[in-house]
Amino acid sequence: MKTGTYIIITGLIFLSGITYPVFSQEETIISPYIQLQYFKDSDDLRSLKTTLTYSHDRIEIPLAGMSISFYSGDTGRELLGTVSTDEKGVARFELPQDQDLPVKNDGLWIFRTEFSGNDTIEAVVSDLSIKDVKLDMVLSEADSVKTITITAFTPGNDGDIPVSEEVVMIYVPRMFSLLPVGEAWLNEKGSASLEFPTDLPGDPEGNLTIIAKFEEHETFGNVERASQQKWGIPSVNPAPVAHRALWTKTPPMWMIITLSILLTGVWGHYLFAIISLIIIKRESKKQKKL
Amino acid sequence: MQADRKLLKDLTPELEKTSTGWYITFAVFMVFFIVGVYSLILQIDKGHIVTGMRDNVVWGFYIVNFIFFMGLSYSGALISGVLHLFNTGWRKPVIRMAELITVISLVIGPFFIFFCIGRLDRLYYLFVYPRIQSPITWDVIAISTDLIGCFIYLYLSFVEDFAILRDYTDLNVPPWKKKFYKILSLGYDGSPVQKKLLSRARTVMASMIIAIAIIVYSVLAWIFGVTLQPGWHSTIFGPYFVIAAVFSGTGLLIILMWIFRKVYHLEEYITKRHFVNVGVLLTVIAAFYGYFTFSDYLTKWYGSIKMDSILIDKLFTEYYTLFIFANYIGILLPGIIIALPRFRTIPNITVAAVIAVLALWVNRYIIVIPTLETPFLPIQDVRTEWIKYSPTWIEWSLTFAGVSVFAMLFMLISKIAPIISISEMQEKDEAEVLK
Amino acid sequence: MKEKSGDGSGESTRRNFIKKIGAGFGTVSIAGITGSSVISGSAKTKSGEKILLLSPEGKLVEVDRDDISPAGKKTADLKAEAKKGLPGHKFVMVIDLSKCRNARLCVDACQEGHMLPKDHEWMKLYLLQDDRHTARYWLPRPCFHCDKPMCVSVCPVGATYKRDDGIVLVDNQRCIGCKFCMTGCPYSARVFNWKDPEVVLPEGHVYDPETNIPPVEGTVGKCVFCADNLRKNILPRCVTACPMGVIYFGDVLEDTVTNGEETLRFSKLMTDRAGFRYREELGTLPNVFYLPPNNRMFPVERGLEGSDEAIKGRYKEVGPR
Repeated sequence: MKTGTYIIITGLIFLSGITYPVFSQEETIISPYIQLQYFKDSDDLRSLKTTLTYSHDRIEIPLAGMSISFYSGDTGRELLGTVSTDEKGVARFELPQDQDLPVKNDGLWIFRTEFSGNDTIEAVVSDLSIKDVKLDMVLSEADSVKTITITAFTPGNDGDIPVSEEVVMIYVPRMFSLLPVGEAWLNEKGSASLEFPTDLPGDPEGNLTIIAKFEEHETFGNVERASQQKWGIPSVNPAPVAHRALWTKTPPMWMIITLSILLTGVWGHYLFAIISLIIIKRESKKQKKL
Repeated sequence: MQADRKLLKDLTPELEKTSTGWYITFAVFMVFFIVGVYSLILQIDKGHIVTGMRDNVVWGFYIVNFIFFMGLSYSGALISGVLHLFNTGWRKPVIRMAELITVISLVIGPFFIFFCIGRLDRLYYLFVYPRIQSPITWDVIAISTDLIGCFIYLYLSFVEDFAILRDYTDLNVPPWKKKFYKILSLGYDGSPVQKKLLSRARTVMASMIIAIAIIVYSVLAWIFGVTLQPGWHSTIFGPYFVIAAVFSGTGLLIILMWIFRKVYHLEEYITKRHFVNVGVLLTVIAAFYGYFTFSDYLTKWYGSIKMDSILIDKLFTEYYTLFIFANYIGILLPGIIIALPRFRTIPNITVAAVIAVLALWVNRYIIVIPTLETPFLPIQDVRTEWIKYSPTWIEWSLTFAGVSVFAMLFMLISKIAPIISISEMQEKDEAEVLK
Repeated sequence: MKEKSGDGSGESTRRNFIKKIGAGFGTVSIAGITGSSVISGSAKTKSGEKILLLSPEGKLVEVDRDDISPAGKKTADLKAEAKKGLPGHKFVMVIDLSKCRNARLCVDACQEGHMLPKDHEWMKLYLLQDDRHTARYWLPRPCFHCDKPMCVSVCPVGATYKRDDGIVLVDNQRCIGCKFCMTGCPYSARVFNWKDPEVVLPEGHVYDPETNIPPVEGTVGKCVFCADNLRKNILPRCVTACPMGVIYFGDVLEDTVTNGEETLRFSKLMTDRAGFRYREELGTLPNVFYLPPNNRMFPVERGLEGSDEAIKGRYKEVGPR
């Protein structure tokens, strides 16, 4: 049974090779694309994300179930862990909090992700150098003007060094994506401020989450800082839960009333006719008895 | 119950014996019926893809037939009901036929709806999960009510006749028929109390039938009228359909009068006078029907609303012949034949009625299908059957099967109850005697 | 019915097998996703159990078992959830007519995601020209999920219903196939299953009105705004499949729409680009808005190239009506 399924599946793969011409010859080696990203979220949890895909007919096809290894360090490379890619070709690895990561002299962490390849897929590696950054966000309100103040520092030997001439994106997370609200340019003191719009809808109480992030920064990676505030307009769903209309569960009152009147009227008359017939029958029985 | 011997002699032979001709005709209709059953099985098995309906024209022959048969049921409401209330004397020989048309077409009509429903196994959902905001639910309620009401009304008219037949000792029928008359006559024997009860019940039901019939047909019209589709979204649809229904019902009555008069030798009872009277009724209604049709299309044609213009265009090009037949010939020809005394003969009037009935079927077709072929978003497809509706043999065969069932039911009932109501005719004689 | 499911014992055999072939077992809809989408994998696969499925096109699809049927949920529960919807949201779609070039990837993604036969187009592409002086334009038309839906009003058995989040669904187990909703909809958004669609269902599949799989013979189907995806905060399939980012989807209450790459404020998009609705005067209050086809990205004719004859033939007689 297993062998049989194996054979059938292999056969079908060859058939589906018509749609994927890559597989029409078994010797074709796929050259995949690997991308390594660094994330630091609002709770200061760091993680690495690798995406393994290959390009076919200008469409990115994810490679699932591949074993991805994460390393840190440059000359003395240390294996951090191994993760399999999911159906979207993504492998995520959480960096432990307290583990000391080896740094180079310029204060950079070196990360590497590697896919060792197999018979049909080439091996690929990707390196990433990340400098740790402390990103903070302060929200203040004065005279109904809402201001976001952002500060960013990198740890240095004699204290924190301000980050300047960099852009920090401000987002409000929505159901499917992040809504861009603005960008802030950090000055030489490592800070920037931005006015927050006053007409953004929030949840029914007006709560919003505001995220400030370095997005795919070449040195800092993806770093975000989030904060919850009541800076949104309370949103109310205009459709009442249950009301009477043609398209709702409960019909308009006048329909129910009209229908009831008509039906009782008509069927009442029917009842009258049927009762007349019954009485006719009874009359004849009475007559017979006489 | 006693009855005039002459009436009994003239009107009961059909209950006693059946001619070979009857059997042959019945067999022919039976063949059509069986072919219809076969095509229905095919449709249920293979799905509605075997019909000509596709995603735009989702309602085809079946709905046209449904409206048509429901419309025929109007003859009973009018001839029987209205004229009963006005106590018109001349209608008495044709009452029974009219009432039978009503009931039989009310039984057949819903079957065409069933043919159109995609999931017959879920039909009962209409009664278990009804939504009263939907015109189809209104239709279900109205048709059920109408059906029951017409059955009651028909039965009320049978009671006296069954009593007469029960007491007609010379009646040469098998014992089961005699028992049948005995049971169903409810022991009626013409006593004043019973007579009064029966008469009052009949009057009450007559007025109900008229009201219900108007409601049923208006509800049917609103299934189309409340949608937004061009051609259907017309305020006139309610009364328009009612008039058209009366028109078709009256036409069919004339046809049946002619058939039964010939076959059952009832020349003495159904005379030229009856044909002329019902014919005049037909002409008057034709005038109303023509007026409504003209009004509807004039307002559509005159205004510049794009979708209306596209529809009118389609009617005058692709559907030209059908349109002229239904809305000109169907109205003018019967009118001319009956209006001019020179043409007023029994065969001519019957021909006029045939044309009227056919024209009305085509009129329903022209209302339903061209609208569905001109939706707001144009049909952009390469397959012809998705662009233009063309019925398949299955739809034709089910149409003929429906007509055959109508005929067969009529033929069967004419063997159980006299096709002219003996008690009604009797009343007439008594009234004349009293004078 | 052919069904291929994991043997259970073949875990390592399957892994080896997958490694050997190295084929991308993603569905075409995933293929459109680029790295910028906010979807992340996890350190481990979900349940660890992958299933090889055969899609109607004969393509092998590997899906995590959890994605097929939520563990233990029965149809009755799913239907109750489907009726309730996602309260607190009101979904809206914006289609940018200036970018559409009839690529038809939206149609393909929709058909694949809902296991539709090839002639069922829940998303349909029209080529319209209102008048000989006005421009021709491609109009992608999903179901509009109107706020005053004619189709819901006329359904006699309540098989189609509108939820509080705005989505109109069809319950294929309640539908009796009377097709009144199809004549009620002025936008021809519904399709009918005239014959048995003969769909190969995955094992353990439970009917859920939010995915509306499989199409049922004798019942009506239509675009459902991928309500199953919305529950997982994933965009509808047509949105992610469009290579030009023509379709934006979002929530009016959040005042945000996104096409997978750009996220914009809905109110601003409407004002800046003068959005409108198709045939506003019909009063059904659709929840799909259009952005007018000005400053086009492509000439209209681009849409006629590259399609097969059956598709091209549809638009031969396009002109003012």
